[in-house]
This record gives sequence, structure tokens and C-alpha cells, in this order.
Amino acid sequence: MRAALGLLALLAMPGHAGWGWEAALEVNSAHGPAIFPHLESANRQGVAAAGGAVAVVWEDNRSGAPRCYAAIKPATAAVFQPERALSDGECYEPVVAPLGQGRFLAAWEEAGRVHARVLPDGPPLRLSAGDAAQVTLATGNGNIHAAWAEQAGAHRRIVVAALALDGNRLALARVQPVESGLPADGQAWPALAVSGSGGVTVAWEDRRAHHTVPMASRGDAGLAFAEPLRITDQASGGMNGLGAGLGAMRPKLATWKQGTVAVWLDKRDFLSGYDVYAAFDTGSGPYTPNLRVQDSFGDSIVQWHASVVADDTRLTAVWDDARDGTSDVWLANWEGSGFSDNVAVSAASGPGDQSDPVAALDERGRLHLVWLDRRADGTRVRYARAQWK
Amino acid sequence: MKQPLLWLALFFAATTAWADPPAGYPFVDYSAGLKAARASGKPVFLYFGRYGCGWCAHTNKTTFSDPALKKLYSAHYELVYVDSESGRRVTLPSGERITEAELGVRMNAFATPLFAYLTPAGEQIVQIPGFKTVEDFRDYDRYVRGGHYKQQTLLEFLGGRP
Repeated sequence: MRAALGLLALLAMPGHAGWGWEAALEVNSAHGPAIFPHLESANRQGVAAAGGAVAVVWEDNRSGAPRCYAAIKPATAAVFQPERALSDGECYEPVVAPLGQGRFLAAWEEAGRVHARVLPDGPPLRLSAGDAAQVTLATGNGNIHAAWAEQAGAHRRIVVAALALDGNRLALARVQPVESGLPADGQAWPALAVSGSGGVTVAWEDRRAHHTVPMASRGDAGLAFAEPLRITDQASGGMNGLGAGLGAMRPKLATWKQGTVAVWLDKRDFLSGYDVYAAFDTGSGPYTPNLRVQDSFGDSIVQWHASVVADDTRLTAVWDDARDGTSDVWLANWEGSGFSDNVAVSAASGPGDQSDPVAALDERGRLHLVWLDRRADGTRVRYARAQWK
Repeated sequence: MKQPLLWLALFFAATTAWADPPAGYPFVDYSAGLKAARASGKPVFLYFGRYGCGWCAHTNKTTFSDPALKKLYSAHYELVYVDSESGRRVTLPSGERITEAELGVRMNAFATPLFAYLTPAGEQIVQIPGFKTVEDFRDYDRYVRGGHYKQQTLLEFLGGRP
């Protein structure tokens, strides 16, 4: 009897809080076994949401060459409008950020330069003077920033720009390399996050230590950047004089309270492949000691495509791994001193391969998730929205 | 005209400097190697490395420094080096365009070095992770070029070796 009462009491307790998902929607209209959509981009920024509207950008080869596409779901619409090409030429690694009032800002690589335009109908603006790739965007506090990797001597270096907006027209207000000298080795895959002070933090992959190290620099409103910091707490150094250090790649940044949070793929446990790690920047001093994001059930499994979203109250990391046999999209929520047990996103898990998540929070704290659903008859770009409950 | 060529040379110099293929071998990138394999009919030997990878450096120093192994693999394989963290673009036999890092995802390249043998059409024969010896690579060569993979797994083949 006591056990039955205990069970009843347990059943009457409210469940753990978590993301409550709405039905998933299909985003791309062109499918086929030889059409390959991609969501890869600097800072994994393939979805943006504001004012109830949602924009998704991706690259696919439906025309016979890589082109970038954008689909918008207006605030009052139940489904996405048919996608439109972002530009006329071959196009790679598009990103999108919210501007508000149903408008978005998109950026992409085309013909060896990076470009941006307002969606749905702004004219394109070339951002980079020279060869460049891996562009990303950040909007907030009335500011618009872009960052990319641009050729400077023998290597690429990270460049950050402040953009001005007049109606639907963009202009470059200021362009600034994070470091003034020529890079000693490659820099790639920048990530941006705005800060409350009007400044911007930029993170990137850096190879000056002869292996790949996520690094970051804080910039003020005038784009004066501080000395770069290592995000990882792993020192460089080889093994018996061989090699230069462990692998870590694809940093992703999000604004978190007064600072930023970074997640990346980290190979410090090199026998089980990349794991998802996180660190916080409180606005001064070094990044916090690194935290493992995936739980113990994902420890012996390689993780891929990590991303993070945050606002003043909520911080969620997403990625894909195949711990259940096939690739699924997983998430973990920040719980104050560590990350929660991992949860498979219901619409993005189960039979088949669901991978490559990109995510955004809107101003109401709703989580917007986009991923690839690979099927024999063609890959779908799928979208779902969740509310914290 | 001279300036674009100079920049092109600098670009390739930079990208090859990022990677860590063993010295003296004619390694090329994935797309070039698969194209060459279709033309030559040779199998592909794919070396998944990582910039700064200690075990890759150990394999290069201990194993790939062997002159006879260099001669064997240079003569009979199209040699492809992939930097598992690189954003360099490659085209798969299916026509899909991905990055070298994404190729690692598709091949579940959880550790480096990782070695894969492909048919001239780009189909995977076998993949082997971790440090290997000269003798190991000679065994894999016999398994691949002898066509034993059509009847046996690598473990079955190695279990029955003289």
C-alpha cells in the first residue's frame, strides 16, 4: 500500500522542465538522391528567428553547382515560403542573422570573396577586399558585425567588420583584422557574439601553435581587439617530441549574460574521437576551465557539428552523435554548474540519419532547430520549434 | 598574370604546410587522387592525418621513412592525404561537395592517423586506425592489391597469413 501511494505521489509530481517541441516542418523543396544540402558554416548560423519570423539558409547543388538558398517563414505563416537563391553564382557556407520586423541579414562566400545582403530583397554587398571564406554574422544592441577569414600573405587571418544599414542597403562602416601583423599560420572558421557594451567577441581556429587551437579576442565598439586568448585549457605540446598538441576545432560562440559561452569539438580524449566541450568568458581574464558537454553515455562515441545558443536565462548545446546506432541530434541544457543529461530531439532522432544541427533562440526564448534528415530519396532540411516547459 | 600565379603558389604552399603527409611521398588532395585513380586504375591509399598529430608524426618517422615502403606505395597507389580538421573542399564519387573535416565525419574518422584503401572508383575496401608498422602496411598491400578483400575480411586474411 505504501509503495502504491509512493508511486501515485511520484506520478503526481510535475515532470522535469525541458524543451517541448512542436511538429517538424520541411524547409527545402528540391530533393533527390543526387541533391546534397549542407548546413555547414562559420559559427553554425543557418537559422535565425525574430518577431515570430524564421529564416533558414543552406547550400545545395540542385542547379548542378553549389548555390545558397534562403527560405523564410513569416510570423503568420504555418509553413516556409519557397526558397530563393541568395546570389547568382557558386555559393558556399551561408549564414543568417535576425534584423527584426521580418527582415534578416544573410552572408556567404562567392567567387572567392564574402558577401552579405538583407533578406528578403536587399542588394548584395561585397565584404572582403581579397580572397576570403567562412563568413559569419552577429546582430544585437543595434549593431551589425561580420567576420571572415581573409588571405594575408601565406595564410588567412580573421577580419571583423562593423556594418551600417540604411533601409535595405548595407555598407561597411569599419573593417579591422583582429591582429595587425601577418598570421604565422592559418586562422579559420570565425565565430562572433555581441556583448552588452556594444563590443564584439570573436573566436576562431588558430594554428600558430602548429596544431588547431580555438582562440578568442574581445573587441570594443571601435573594433580594437585585445590580445587573443586560448579557449581550451589544454597546453600545446607534442608526444615524446612528436606532434604539436591535441586537436580541437569549429568554435561556436553565443552571448551569455555579461560575457559569452563557447563550445567546440575537442579531441583531448583522442581514442573516442571528438567530444563537445564548453567554456565561459565572463568579460575579463581567461576563459573558465573547460567543461565536457555530453554525458557519460556519449563518452565513447564521437560527436560532431556542435553548436550552442543562449540568452539571459537559458543555455543549450546541440550536436549529433550515433550512440543509439544511427546519427541523431542531441542537446544538453546548462544547469548552473554543469550540463544536463543528454536528450535526443524527438523529431530529429530514431531510424535514419539526422545530423548537422543549427539552432537559434528568439527574443521570447523559443528554441529554433534545423537539421539534415538523410533519406534514400534525398536529404531534407527540417525545422522544429520548442518552448521551455 | 604573374601576380595571380604567385598567389596561387602561395595558397598551395600554405595549405600543404598545414598538413602533415610523410616527406617524399607524392600525396595529393582527395579530389585529385580520386581523379587520378579513375584514370590509372590504381587503388587509393588515403591517409587521414591531423595538423600537429603526434601519432601521425610517429608513423611518418618510424614507418613511412622506410625507402622500400615508399617505393611500393608510391608505385602502386594513388596517395591521398586528408587533414581531418580542414575546411578544404573535396568532391565525393557521388558528386557531393564536402570539406575534408566532413569527410572525416562520413568515414567516422574518430582517431588519427587513420588509413583507408579505396577502389579506383572510390569505394572503400578497408579502413585501419592508429599507428602501424612497415610490415603491417606490406600486409595491407597484399590484401588490397591481391584482391583478397573480395572474399575475406582483413582479420580473416591476416589470421591466415604465412
